[in-house]
Amino acid sequence: MAEFTLPKNSIVKEGIYHKNYKNLENIKKLIIYRWDPENNENPRLDTYEIDQKKCGPMVLDALMKIKNEIDPTITFRRSCREGVCGSCAMNIDGINTLACLKPIGEVKGDIKIYPLPHMPIIKDLVPDLSKAYNQLESIKPWLKRKKYLENNESNKLEEKKQSPKDREKLDGQWECVLCFCCTTSCPSYWWNSDEYLGPAVLLQAARWVNDSRDSERKNRLKDINDSMKLYRCHSIMNCTHSCPKGLNPAKAIADLKKAIVTEL
Amino acid sequence: MRSNRPLSPHLSIYKKILTSVFSIFHRFTGISLSIGSILIALWFCLFALLPSYYFVFEIISANIFFRFILFIWTITIFYHLFNGVRYLYWSFGIGMDLNSVYFSAYMVLFLTMLSSILVWFLL
Repeated sequence: MAEFTLPKNSIVKEGIYHKNYKNLENIKKLIIYRWDPENNENPRLDTYEIDQKKCGPMVLDALMKIKNEIDPTITFRRSCREGVCGSCAMNIDGINTLACLKPIGEVKGDIKIYPLPHMPIIKDLVPDLSKAYNQLESIKPWLKRKKYLENNESNKLEEKKQSPKDREKLDGQWECVLCFCCTTSCPSYWWNSDEYLGPAVLLQAARWVNDSRDSERKNRLKDINDSMKLYRCHSIMNCTHSCPKGLNPAKAIADLKKAIVTEL
Repeated sequence: MRSNRPLSPHLSIYKKILTSVFSIFHRFTGISLSIGSILIALWFCLFALLPSYYFVFEIISANIFFRFILFIWTITIFYHLFNGVRYLYWSFGIGMDLNSVYFSAYMVLFLTMLSSILVWFLL
């Protein structure tokens, strides 16, 4: 049964206010979720004031500025700062997105930053994604070919070619950077994360199901044809709404369901 | 150590965006319709009974509060109907890009209002 409230140790308390005394004009307030594993306190919301004129355009720039200039203890993942690595996924202004792709100017008023929703927290804005990674592994996200012996001898050394038309079928699926913004925006995943695979993993499942070079299409479909793994998707469409790369996991899942009905 | 990890906030902090709101209302309307249809059936039973029960039926029908609830119930029916059609299209993978999702959502709202008003004030 879904638990709609937070457990006792997760209830968010008020935190520290880091006031900016130097500049009072171009101030932007950032309210950030903090949790330190080294003391036994509950998570808290710290407030930081930054000078917008002396800060880069994106929310990630603001976070870096805070880490560099105000509070070096603040912890978050980041790497490429251009939406390619998927590290800086977090909940900004109520919606999951990549901090490096979210302009500060898009947020009216104070910027509230939480980690990805309904995830165990390692520290501050760093969630533990190991469950999601294990789920990704469970769909076997690699190319599978029938054993060489079953095929022609010639297949052994020949490259398996893919026509541009077949390659097009993967567009909108291979671009996923696995930031899990979509998965953690899905209410169904919040309540069923133990068994439901979630949009990101199902999008990857679709990516391998639709690969013309893969010979396990049917088996892959059979594997995910499960009331919990796949059919906890109720087309809520939060995944498509939140995807920072503009992909459409909900559509991919609908197509998977259709393929199962028509092909199995 | 691991079990001590807090759970990050979810329902309370996620923005109430159109997609999830329309989805949860589809459930709410579905539940209230199934409860409501039993009540409506009971109400109809009144005039299947003896003629003396008929005036109870009339008293209930004339009650403004009852009529208001019936009006809400009409909206509920049409919302569930039109949104259900939206879900049918999605089952075929049609209209699932974000622009179409928003457009069809507003269409559902518009059609719901239009048909409820038609039923109550023009028929």
